[in-house]
Amino acid sequence: MNTTFILGLAILVIGVLSVAFVRPKTYVARLINLEIPAWGLLLVMLAYDEALALMTFVAVTAISTFVIVRLMEWRDASC
Amino acid sequence: MIALYVVAAIAVFAAVRAILERNTGRRFPHANVLNFAVAGSLVLLLDHPITLVAAAAYFVGSTLEANAIASTYAGGVKR
Amino acid sequence: MIFELQVVFGLIALLGALSAALIRDSYGKLIALGILVSGVLPFIVDRGYLDVAIAAALIAPISTIFVLMAVRRAEP
Repeated sequence: MNTTFILGLAILVIGVLSVAFVRPKTYVARLINLEIPAWGLLLVMLAYDEALALMTFVAVTAISTFVIVRLMEWRDASC
Repeated sequence: MIALYVVAAIAVFAAVRAILERNTGRRFPHANVLNFAVAGSLVLLLDHPITLVAAAAYFVGSTLEANAIASTYAGGVKR
Repeated sequence: MIFELQVVFGLIALLGALSAALIRDSYGKLIALGILVSGVLPFIVDRGYLDVAIAAALIAPISTIFVLMAVRRAEP
């Protein structure tokens, strides 16, 4: 396979493991780690030449980050 | 073509220096050097006029991101 | 893209991902996330998707600023 696909899979695996076994066990650290597999999945989508899927995925990732941040503020959890 | 190699070497050197630094406040200048080097390499990478717009967008975005992180790290806006 | 440049930017992206996973400080995590984005964007530009590159370069700082709102509330 080409370099983009292998690199995307490596970043995806690193991000998923870091979200599952997050070390400072807080919500903010888990939210920051959740951004890593998004970029890995973007690289995997880039290997398959899907332009509309790429742009939609970039937009939806930012919107979901905003929703999760507002949820953390509403619940007033110990962030 | 030699300019692309020089800029890529500067980019990987700045990335290694920014990651291996122990103090968080000393990471910011190396991250800025990395952002400028990647913005320069985006222009030289492809022969297409809209590449200049993409590099300008990345330059503005990365500068805004670095300034936001540094401002929050320094204490934010005092009210 | 030339193979050496693919190795260089892939190395930058992998270093950013590993350091964002391993650093314990929140601001260090955000800086490492910026390094990851700067390693990923040349691959998007090289495939010719310049509109996707413009959108990703403008949306990634906005997402970082959203996370910074939560970080400032968590550790003032």
